Amino acid sequence: MKERKSEGNEVKVRWYGYIVLVIAILFFSGVFTAFEGPLKALDFTNLAGDFGKLGTLEEGAGSLASNFRGTGGAGAKDAWMFAMTLFPTVMFALGVVKVVEYLDGLKAAQKLLTPLLRPLMGLPGISGLTLIASLQSADAGASMLNTLAEEGEITEKEKNIFAAFQFSGGGTLTNYLSSCAALFAFMTVPILVPLAVVIAFKIVGANLMRIYLNKVCKQ
Amino acid sequence: MDKKVTPKKTVVDAFVEGARNGFGISANSMAPNVMFAFVLIQILNLTGLSDILGVIFQPVMGIFGLPGVAATVLIASFLSMGGGVGVAASLYSSGLINGTHISIMIPAIMLMGALLQYMGRILGTANVDNKYYPQLFAICFINAILSMFVMRLIVSL
Repeated sequence: MKERKSEGNEVKVRWYGYIVLVIAILFFSGVFTAFEGPLKALDFTNLAGDFGKLGTLEEGAGSLASNFRGTGGAGAKDAWMFAMTLFPTVMFALGVVKVVEYLDGLKAAQKLLTPLLRPLMGLPGISGLTLIASLQSADAGASMLNTLAEEGEITEKEKNIFAAFQFSGGGTLTNYLSSCAALFAFMTVPILVPLAVVIAFKIVGANLMRIYLNKVCKQ
Repeated sequence: MDKKVTPKKTVVDAFVEGARNGFGISANSMAPNVMFAFVLIQILNLTGLSDILGVIFQPVMGIFGLPGVAATVLIASFLSMGGGVGVAASLYSSGLINGTHISIMIPAIMLMGALLQYMGRILGTANVDNKYYPQLFAICFINAILSMFVMRLIVSL
């Protein structure tokens, strides 16, 4: 009974993991938001739904708040009502992420990402699991990075590059779907776009650190 | 020989666990941060400081196609990501910024978000050498600034 923790290249992904990953990306991408037919159901915004309206008014009869938050609130009390409107979005989003994880979708992402780590950021394949974990939780990512370095799996230089990746926009996925969920309703771009930009710049940041360590700290 | 003795978890269990975690994050992190941000904006509005900040930061924020008052979003996000988001939501509610401005700033809120907290939680936990802290902070600010240019381009498409 020797069970090794699957890490890096050895990660086992059940076949449907890849399908789940693709579906998850489509789900949050908003491509099906305005779709006609049953595919409408394959969209985060559509499934998140709407709060009920408070009623209707005749034209010219004043104004009516669009939901229970009301209009014209301010300060701590408005903050409370606004926060209440966000609970369902955050709960739903993180529930979906957990399902994607359960169905191997995140492992599939890790597997696909692993061979890209070296060319993209100069990191060894074994960092794949830590990278995916760091997108879900800043704390998990950091402690796993520490373990990688202590066990000598990555060099000091690689650790600093990886730290630059993790430090900028830590816990990306969870933070985006919880904190930033507050802004989803106001955004003018699909939900997935800012997330993709954040991840792209995390990679840019890692490379800035890589360049810095290569050029400036050459010993 | 793949024997698992743990009770089988279903998709439903996974969803419920995630949603429960979402409830916890909402109650313990999101809501208090939103409250901090809304009260901060209320103070700025009642004292008239938001107008002054708006004028002061207009030249800098204008580069990114943002009104001056949007600087408060970035300043707050440096302290706490949820705070930055809350300030953005509050400014939107008061009509001081619009959806395009929010779209431009979202990646920046994350990329330079909560750095003081993460200094301990990420750099401290990972045992990163102190001498690299300034560079790591600088990288986050560079990321944030560049992301606003990119988002400005994307929203104009």
